[in-house]
Amino acid sequence: MRYPTTGAACLQASLDVSPHAIGLVLICWLCLALSGCSTWQAPPAIDDTALRERAVTATHRDVQVSATVLSTEDNEKFFAANINDTGVQSVWVEVVNNSLHTLWLLQSGTDPDYFSPLEVAWSLHKPLSPGTNSKIDDHFDDLSFEGLVQPGETRTGILYTNPHHGTRILNIDLLGQRTIFPFTLFPPVPEDIDRDKSDEIAKLFADSEHNDYQDEAAFRLALEQLPCCASDTRGSITGDPINLVLIGEFADIGAALIRRGYRHIPQDQDQTQLVFNRPPDLVARKTGQGGVPANWLRVWIAPFRYQGQPVLLIQSGRPVGGRFRPADGGKPVLHPAIDETRSLVAQDLLYSGGLEKLGFVEGVNPVTTEQLFNHPGEFAYHSDGLRAVFFIITRPLSLSDVEILDWVPALERQVNEAAEENAQENTDTQQTQ
Amino acid sequence: MALTDSLKSAFVLLAITLTLTGCASKGPLPWLETTDYRERLQTQTEGGVRVSTSVLSASESQTLYGVPLARKGIQPVWIEVQNHDDTPYWFMSLGLDPYYIPASEAADAFTGNNVDTYHELTQHFQQLAFQNPVLPGATVSGFILTNLHEGVKMVEVDLVASGHLKTFSFLSEIPGFRADYGGKEHLEDTPDDVINYTDDAAFRAALEALPCCVSNKKGTRNGDPLNLVIIGGRDDAFPALVRRGWSPTEATYTGSVMKMINSVLSGERYPYSPISPLYLYGRPQDLALQKARDNVHQRNHLRLWLSPMRYHSQLVWVGQISRDIGTRLTIHSPYLTTHKIDPNVDTALLALIEDLIYSQHLSKIALVKGVGAAPRDAPRQNLTTDPYYTAGNRGVLFFDEHSTSLADIEFLPWEGSAGGMVKAASKDGNQ
Repeated sequence: MRYPTTGAACLQASLDVSPHAIGLVLICWLCLALSGCSTWQAPPAIDDTALRERAVTATHRDVQVSATVLSTEDNEKFFAANINDTGVQSVWVEVVNNSLHTLWLLQSGTDPDYFSPLEVAWSLHKPLSPGTNSKIDDHFDDLSFEGLVQPGETRTGILYTNPHHGTRILNIDLLGQRTIFPFTLFPPVPEDIDRDKSDEIAKLFADSEHNDYQDEAAFRLALEQLPCCASDTRGSITGDPINLVLIGEFADIGAALIRRGYRHIPQDQDQTQLVFNRPPDLVARKTGQGGVPANWLRVWIAPFRYQGQPVLLIQSGRPVGGRFRPADGGKPVLHPAIDETRSLVAQDLLYSGGLEKLGFVEGVNPVTTEQLFNHPGEFAYHSDGLRAVFFIITRPLSLSDVEILDWVPALERQVNEAAEENAQENTDTQQTQ
Repeated sequence: MALTDSLKSAFVLLAITLTLTGCASKGPLPWLETTDYRERLQTQTEGGVRVSTSVLSASESQTLYGVPLARKGIQPVWIEVQNHDDTPYWFMSLGLDPYYIPASEAADAFTGNNVDTYHELTQHFQQLAFQNPVLPGATVSGFILTNLHEGVKMVEVDLVASGHLKTFSFLSEIPGFRADYGGKEHLEDTPDDVINYTDDAAFRAALEALPCCVSNKKGTRNGDPLNLVIIGGRDDAFPALVRRGWSPTEATYTGSVMKMINSVLSGERYPYSPISPLYLYGRPQDLALQKARDNVHQRNHLRLWLSPMRYHSQLVWVGQISRDIGTRLTIHSPYLTTHKIDPNVDTALLALIEDLIYSQHLSKIALVKGVGAAPRDAPRQNLTTDPYYTAGNRGVLFFDEHSTSLADIEFLPWEGSAGGMVKAASKDGNQ
């Protein structure tokens, strides 16, 4: 979260008016500081009609969830401040609970780094204004989504989260007694409405229904025959490799990624990577602690399905320099160690509770580190050439329930190599004896 | 003199050659055995799998990697897995540190724009790294690069196989650092007055009878509310905390205060900020943990005391959780700064429970009375005069060494706020 420097802003404003009258400026600044620069007044009334009209809604087992991302205008109406400026994206949520369960909305599932209402309020506090600050606290607290949703109850409130761009991938996990009601909704971000691709994505999913693989071997072959990498705008295969495949309902995949801290943040450099002659349909980024440069997942919806389930093709990557990259490091460049990033994503999915099965297929051109280092400029990465394939499900699973498929060429290869090494050692030993 | 220099150069060259020609990532590393970290090995065996670990000090990591890793906040952890089972295992680096540093990324921190250095260092780092998988009959060893922890580190080794998980947990002391950790001797001692509760009603009553709050050293003033009880230890609760990014804090001493002040001024993340001692059972916290979020303004603090209670022989920790939302000046701390805590301490408690719900080790949740209600319009104050309010319950978290899916977590019918979750949810039983 960014903290506004109210005093500094006031001082700057004062300096603009009278740059030479330092004493006057200081007195002015002190007065302004004492008065809080501008007095915050709670909005006279809160009307969520506009939010309801724009809301996206989903229903699952007698529970309905609706959500809207607040615009700058909504922010002003709700908070008498634009909290977008503090790096907080506020989301209006309504839960209609017609189930028999008392439900707990797990905010960590919506955003592992979510903000508490008083934390957002604190960022708006004015110096030496305890009365006003107390009002701000109460206002943010009252508007927040808190507490539990009892059977038969409808509850609304605001979640204070880190921002997504374009389309919000909103995961809502409602926990009950030995059960969970997971929801993933895709409300547009009002300030990015021109980048909202919901309709386009819905059409791609609908189109993919026409080519549904039922046979595992045929599907595996189809995955192996996909292009290794993205192409550029001239059609040359010079882009980054497609090294992940996710299979599952889009909402479940979104939930698994969001629970692990990924956010929808497309950037300009993503648009140069083309698969199926189009830039990524979505781009998820996971930022490390301290806001360091993020790892990315560029996602394309495949024109086919597997046993009725959507298939997503993904470039996973992280920038050269990673968290040690200087702030002015320019445009991020793919780090050649792409298998490390693949491993990171695999582990994230394992811990997400959404992974059912994991396998690997060929499909990325293998490049050794020696090739990379000895032929500068010829290769952009080094890799064992495998694509990781993940099957994502709705029902949460623990780590010990994940099945590792036997279509693991990497493992087969290593087991065979180990067996050959052992056999060679035995032969050597016998010859020595 | 010239001869000696030549010999030194030859030795260095030989060492680099040996390093770069492999053998380092799998099996024993003979040239590494001259350093001390191997003498601190901790080993556990479960079934056919044996795991050994050791955490490197700053000087040890510089010797092995040839660059000052600690200055970049990087700490190697050595892991060795011997697999005598008939299934391959994969070691999960994210379980050891959710923000671990892949070998090539760590190498990036030291290579700059020099291509030769880049190749050499990257290969060196890769060869020292732990390489998955651990095949049946194999022994694999290597280093995982984690974020620097000072004093003590919780080392969590999750080994995943198809339809199967093995978990090993270690508490490792790191030479050269101090931390808010009472010392292993203290924690592993079994005092004479331990009561092992096997009856839920009696245990609940004992938890309700705990003091409301922590106190100052003399025990004359109450501080933050004791709003948390953790049931579990090294094999269940600690792994859950580590997986979610919680780590032991650095002790409050002048060095850490200076580092925190620098962090505040620069706005950068500093993984530690001093955590002041609070008192229960006549002693400061046995374990202080924190989870940094975006920067120094945003972190959660957790203080735990090992109680003389046991629940079905599991350890029972009593503690206090608070959520920092900023820093402020104070005259109630000798350091003149303190964390501004979220006054709604129930929010901080819920955030912790939610966080641990996703750890896969939390099996049951309950609430008990004992803190005492402090309404928003009549808040209480902690020892640094921060106001707080609460409904008055403490969260009780039961951990299990076997992983539990989100959909299997149970709420005990103990306490809840009016019409609250635990009480109401329990009516539904296992529906």
